[in-house]
Amino acid sequence: MQIQTSELKRVTLFEVSGRVDSTNANELGDALNAAIDAGRTQIVVDLSNVEYMSSAGLRELVTALKKVKRGTGDLRLAAPSERVMEVLELAGLDSIFEIYPSQVEAVGSF
Amino acid sequence: MGEEYRITIPGILERIPDVCDAVVAAARRSGFNERAVYHCQMAVDEACTNIVEHGYGMAQQVGQIEVIYRNEPDRCVITIADNGPPFNPLAREDPDPTMALSDRKPGGWGIYFIKKMMDETSYTYENGRNYLTIVKLKTPQNMAPAARTTADTGIAVHTLTGSVREISPSGRLDSNAAPDLQAVLDAQLDDGHVHLIVNMTDISYISTSGLKVLVNAWRRARDASGNVALVGLKPQILEVFETVGFDQIFSIFDTTDEALKALYK
Repeated sequence: MQIQTSELKRVTLFEVSGRVDSTNANELGDALNAAIDAGRTQIVVDLSNVEYMSSAGLRELVTALKKVKRGTGDLRLAAPSERVMEVLELAGLDSIFEIYPSQVEAVGSF
Repeated sequence: MGEEYRITIPGILERIPDVCDAVVAAARRSGFNERAVYHCQMAVDEACTNIVEHGYGMAQQVGQIEVIYRNEPDRCVITIADNGPPFNPLAREDPDPTMALSDRKPGGWGIYFIKKMMDETSYTYENGRNYLTIVKLKTPQNMAPAARTTADTGIAVHTLTGSVREISPSGRLDSNAAPDLQAVLDAQLDDGHVHLIVNMTDISYISTSGLKVLVNAWRRARDASGNVALVGLKPQILEVFETVGFDQIFSIFDTTDEALKALYK
């Protein structure tokens, strides 16, 4: 898994790629936490290059979403693959997260 | 009895990807499609993660995990064995996917995914080992697109002028029907047919699963400098597209002729 973080005007963008599983999901959680703790609570996680995500990855995303929602922030997802989308749907997370077909639309939604 | 693959790892998280790789390779060799392969991988990953975090988490000494993949004519049977304390993961109460964010615990979804993604699950404790057995059936919906044809799905495919392919699904395009349309569209795209028209005249209902299949095909076609145009949408179907903003993504026409003239002349 690789995570590239970019500070945009209104949004902190995380571009995640590769496998997100129980061996590395905590790194994603740490990266999200660092941004949130620094007051960056408008977050987009671009999943377009995530080839595989297990429940360990979902756990970090949900934890971070709960955290930003305590304030006025939000964490929105961009371009999950069909496989990752199915995982989100099975857990009912497609109605918990705002999910956009592209990074541009997700960033523009803030 | 079909062929069998075995892999044994020490019960630590870092080694679970080795098991995933082995299961992915075995499931592909068995002819499963990528969706079914993903399901097998994730089920095994979640089972192993559960064993490490809960079974061996408290133990003084790290145990082993053995995964056996058996390819049978009508199914694959995957057994995950560990020598941790007796624990039936299937007995655990399922989390509720309709739960609101505020009521949700972030974790606890691993076993739920196993149950949802696999066709059969069972657990036994024998000779000091936990055995979780999970099954993926070789139903047409789980098999690779190459094995799927118009005859299997009832979805008509016509070749129009300029090698444009028109795909005409019918009825309800819901989560049951979506994999069939996906298979047909993927087969076209796999064969290099990237100029597609999906004729929606006979579609009476579309769910998010159906929308997803169309967006995936559109994305694949676009990446290959092609397009997926939609024609003949009933007003209630068009309304769904407008609601989610997909009318901005797709080229939508009343008729196939109009789509051909506009896009592929």
